[in-house]
Amino acid sequence: MPIFVVASAWLLPGGELWTHFAQTLLSDLVLSTTILLIGVGLGVSVLGTILAYLVVMVEFPGRRWLEWALFLPFAIPAYVLAFVYLGVFDYSGYVQVWMREILGLPGFDIRAGYWAITLTFILVFYPYVYMMARASFKRQKIHMIEAGKMLGASPIRVFWKISVPLARPAIAAGLLVTLMETLADFGVVSLFNYSTFTTAIYSAWGDFRSIEVAAQLASLLVLVAFFLIYFERRARGKAKYYSTDISHIRPYVASGWIGWLLFLFVFSVFMLSFAMPILQIIIWSIEVFAKEWSGKYIGFISSTAILTLSAAALTVTVATILALPSSCKNNSRVLQMLIHFSTLGYALPGSVMAVGLMYGVQNISLINEYFGGSSLNHLLFGSIALLLFAYVSRFMAIAYNSANASAEQIKPVYEQSARLLGASRFRLVWKVYLPMMTPGIMAGALLVAVDVMKELPATYLLRPFGWDTLAIRVYELSAEGLFERAAVPALMMVVFGAVLMLAFNKLDSSRL
Amino acid sequence: MLSVSNLSISFEENQVLNGFNLELESGDIFALLGDSGSGKSCALRFIAGLDNAQDGSVNLDGMDLSNRGEHQVEPEARKIGMVFQDYALFPHMTVFQNICFGINKLSKEQKTEKVNELLQLIYLEGIEKKYPHQLSGGEQQRVSLARSLATSPKLLLLDEPFSSLDKSHRNQLVKEVRSILKKARMTSILVTHDEAEAKSFADMVGKIDKKQLHIN
Repeated sequence: MPIFVVASAWLLPGGELWTHFAQTLLSDLVLSTTILLIGVGLGVSVLGTILAYLVVMVEFPGRRWLEWALFLPFAIPAYVLAFVYLGVFDYSGYVQVWMREILGLPGFDIRAGYWAITLTFILVFYPYVYMMARASFKRQKIHMIEAGKMLGASPIRVFWKISVPLARPAIAAGLLVTLMETLADFGVVSLFNYSTFTTAIYSAWGDFRSIEVAAQLASLLVLVAFFLIYFERRARGKAKYYSTDISHIRPYVASGWIGWLLFLFVFSVFMLSFAMPILQIIIWSIEVFAKEWSGKYIGFISSTAILTLSAAALTVTVATILALPSSCKNNSRVLQMLIHFSTLGYALPGSVMAVGLMYGVQNISLINEYFGGSSLNHLLFGSIALLLFAYVSRFMAIAYNSANASAEQIKPVYEQSARLLGASRFRLVWKVYLPMMTPGIMAGALLVAVDVMKELPATYLLRPFGWDTLAIRVYELSAEGLFERAAVPALMMVVFGAVLMLAFNKLDSSRL
Repeated sequence: MLSVSNLSISFEENQVLNGFNLELESGDIFALLGDSGSGKSCALRFIAGLDNAQDGSVNLDGMDLSNRGEHQVEPEARKIGMVFQDYALFPHMTVFQNICFGINKLSKEQKTEKVNELLQLIYLEGIEKKYPHQLSGGEQQRVSLARSLATSPKLLLLDEPFSSLDKSHRNQLVKEVRSILKKARMTSILVTHDEAEAKSFADMVGKIDKKQLHIN
């Protein structure tokens, strides 16, 4: 629905402002957004894939704990990592002060150019690719790798010619989620003063008060998302590499200094993306905890927990129904189109999603009044239902992609044999499909939960009175530049997220 | 030509092989029989360098590949070919690409020539552009054989390569593969649990019994 609402904005007047936007800013926006997407896309694909390959295929010191530790950055909201990096590397941060005072070097502007912001995004989003590629590598037949070895291929050739091409659908799925997250991000880009479509949408709305231009820009964003989904489908091709066996044997052993070198590489990614920022947040939190903590936090925590859990449960339920293997789905282009549409919400910035929904609800209410009904505004505005609806639409893609990836590994022969054994459709779903899809469904639930917890703009605009979450608190404090105090709720979010990630990892490692 | 001596393999407390010895001359086709869990595949995988053992040495053409349970040469440098039970053809590559995987350093013309020669040998000319999923089980197994032969290995290991085929095709393929290997003068070891298959395939049959190899 929000997509149609933003697309309908092209029908409304607003021409002059749009022409102004198109002439002055559009080309720069397209360029800066493209550069960011390419940089982040390349970075997360390379880093996520290499890390996943190392922990699955190579035995090296520290591999066991690094395998799950690399998931932890999921727990850190992108804007939190951004403010920590800015706090540390900015002109007045430790690093530059140290460079100036001890080394006598000139400072640098971390906000200039695009390398710093690209690097930040890569460190926040690589776990998407890592997670999907890791699951895929684990399902690769060990005989495939051994055949490569016996044919004389070096480890690098086996990686490049066998493992990566076989994991391509998973890598593409992780990349898609990353690019959509990058497109929809507002927190990081605004902290780094970097212009993208999302910041332009805010500015069209906030500075120019033009909901139409904002919606027009948003619809372009949806178009880009549509292209990304299309390319991901193309990258997958028709390739379906069924394999249900999971190997625990690591075909390669890196001993001696090569092993330690690999450890150092993986460990430094963990340090940069998780340990170091967390340490900084803890230090800041300790400094200001007494000033910041109050009874209000009980409310923040309980709203966050209730919203997160109910949104995750709801999203995953809908996504599972959409992802269930079904011959009628495979044969119907219309159904497939609808599913594509339902996953597009991921590229919608939360605020546009919120505005689209409010605009839509208002129109429904007006129509209802026209037909003699009463206004529905009071029922819908500021209700949990509308906020949950926004979450479900926005995070459907993650839950769907994850559930669908595991559904695609279910061979058609299972359906056929279950049918021949006299199982009803319901029993087939309940006893065969759902248990086989559980890892994917749970992975999706977890990602959605973490994302809902971190979600900011839609929560900000749609939350019912008194439903402030931890994310809102972080935003309100950091918007005023109170980074040290913002570290307190940020730390709580990270702990909550890390608990979710660890729970997931426990479940995941028992299955993978 | 191939000498395996004093091979001992155990899993935790359970010893499956103890003092396994085998000598093969160039061009020999040998079948290794044994019940499931008897350690026949473990012996094969140790010779390939894929799995470890508590003790045992492998010498191929005068070169020590493994000594006292330690591998001296990595699997990729042993010049040993292996055909797997599930074929292990790379699903994302065509037949041509699969066969050329081990000979990627040759020129395009040399590769084409080699692939044509091998496809002729396995009686499957004209399928080089097909993908593995477009082939029958028997065809996949023959392509997998051609892929291993392409690198001209000194020794070919076959790990239950016929077990997933139906019986009528199996007997036919066993004979075909034997004649292909004879034509190529390839020293080979077949692992199987089917005595009839072992006898019709090999020049020499050995059976693992009480953790040791007994050659008939």
